Amino acid sequence: MSNFIIETNKLTKKFGSSKVVNNVNLQVKKGEIYGFLGPNGAGKTTSIRMLLGLARPTNGSVQIFGKDIKKERLSILKKVGSLVEYPSYYGHLTAYENLEAARLLLGATKPRIDEVLAIVRLTKDAKRPVKGFSLGMKQRLGIATALLGNPELLILDEPTNGLDPSGIIEIRELIKSMPKEHGITILISSHLLSEIDQMATQVGIITKGQMIFQDSILKLRAQSTSKIKLTVNDAEAAWKSLLTHGYRTDFNQNKLFIENGSDDNVAEIVKSLVQNNYSIYRVEEERKSLEEIFLELTGLEGGL
Amino acid sequence: MARVMVSEFLKIRRKMILFLILLGPMGVIGLEAVNFGVRYDWLTGVYKDDLWRGLIGEVSMLSILTILIGLTILTSMIATIEHQTNAWKQLLALPISKTQVFTGKALLTVLLLFVSCLLLAIGTIVLGLLLKFGTDIPFLYLIEMCFFPYLASLPFIAVQTWLAITMKNQAVPLMIGIVGAIVSMYSMNFPDWVPWKWPLLLNDWDMPVYSVLAGLAIGILLYFIGLLDFNRRDVK
Repeated sequence: MSNFIIETNKLTKKFGSSKVVNNVNLQVKKGEIYGFLGPNGAGKTTSIRMLLGLARPTNGSVQIFGKDIKKERLSILKKVGSLVEYPSYYGHLTAYENLEAARLLLGATKPRIDEVLAIVRLTKDAKRPVKGFSLGMKQRLGIATALLGNPELLILDEPTNGLDPSGIIEIRELIKSMPKEHGITILISSHLLSEIDQMATQVGIITKGQMIFQDSILKLRAQSTSKIKLTVNDAEAAWKSLLTHGYRTDFNQNKLFIENGSDDNVAEIVKSLVQNNYSIYRVEEERKSLEEIFLELTGLEGGL
Repeated sequence: MARVMVSEFLKIRRKMILFLILLGPMGVIGLEAVNFGVRYDWLTGVYKDDLWRGLIGEVSMLSILTILIGLTILTSMIATIEHQTNAWKQLLALPISKTQVFTGKALLTVLLLFVSCLLLAIGTIVLGLLLKFGTDIPFLYLIEMCFFPYLASLPFIAVQTWLAITMKNQAVPLMIGIVGAIVSMYSMNFPDWVPWKWPLLLNDWDMPVYSVLAGLAIGILLYFIGLLDFNRRDVK
């Protein structure tokens, strides 16, 4: 038995001859918020469908709670809440009836419906037909349905899609509170790194069907190396002067850059410039944003 | 499975489906009321030996077309509830097997259509009494003529359920079902093995029950074939 809540082994899905998901080894530990990141069409939704047993893998296996989804699908799904892509609902039914239809199949208790309605703050609108709901409310109803069966694992595919900023913040806070309050493990997919950055503890990045990065979010952040940018009056002369004093800098676009400089190193360079009568206008740190790392990893064309 | 059915019945609320279940038998009885009202003297002349049998025969003629078109529309409406917002993915991510989902949909149509046929039988009795045909009602014949065409139509319920569920575009199952219903109207001279003939309860042996047995057997077989295919498919 492994200690992973979700573990896939060489998961592959072919549509025709193209591999939409290619040898993905996804590993999610208990209590994590796992951010599943990738540009549109990278294979996120297809992977999630296979996790839920909605699509059959061409190759490879999926284990959830240490059980094979192929063999024990029903007992696994009892403890999994999910929201796949845009929310599904029965428009002619009220929010309450929608939850009741799912509750019957989950075998949850009736009071649980009121609980989940309160969690997503839909109690007031519970008796209205869902077709009159805003997208944000439908999305919240979807999350309520996912929470209905007291799941140990939540799988949310793009849960903030189409929401306004306040809706996004609301859902984000809700998701962040889950592992702490209920010990739920969460897998959340998104094509927005900033989204994942604010919630996730672990990240998996998928592009063109392949997992290209899987580690803690801190490791990803560590990849964002910093540079010190110096703006001086005569950059080219200053660069040459620094070289004669034995300091290596990069000269670019009329600015000086110090790569991987220690604090002392930076101080010495500044001192040397001042002593040689150069005017220093600015000393700035330039950090590569996570967005840029993400684009670098996934390739520019995938990000468009 | 009981929970699945309760959930299915919940989902057809406010969907005109229950109205349709009423409309079918009411339409047939209404048309027969007009038929007998307008040509009362002539029809009572034709059926003077047994007025009740005459009425029941006329009713069942109309009911066959209604059953075949009704089951086509029903299966389509029931599947559309899930197609509309692609609720299949949410439904099948719940702890419920695909077999239960497919069976639930097919069983729902079977049950609703049964209610329709029951209403048809009751409506026929009411109409006969209103026409003052007396109280000597041939119940056995009435039940045969109201429920046998329905049972002989089971293959169509199985096929239409499968078509409506597997195709998002309902134009195809609706067209197939309606064309089938019309074909069935002209199938008196078809060979006995043609399923469209079975709802008419006509066969070389003059045994309506043979048509029913064929319908039951092939219906159940087609249900299993549809189920196998549904289980094999990925959820969209």
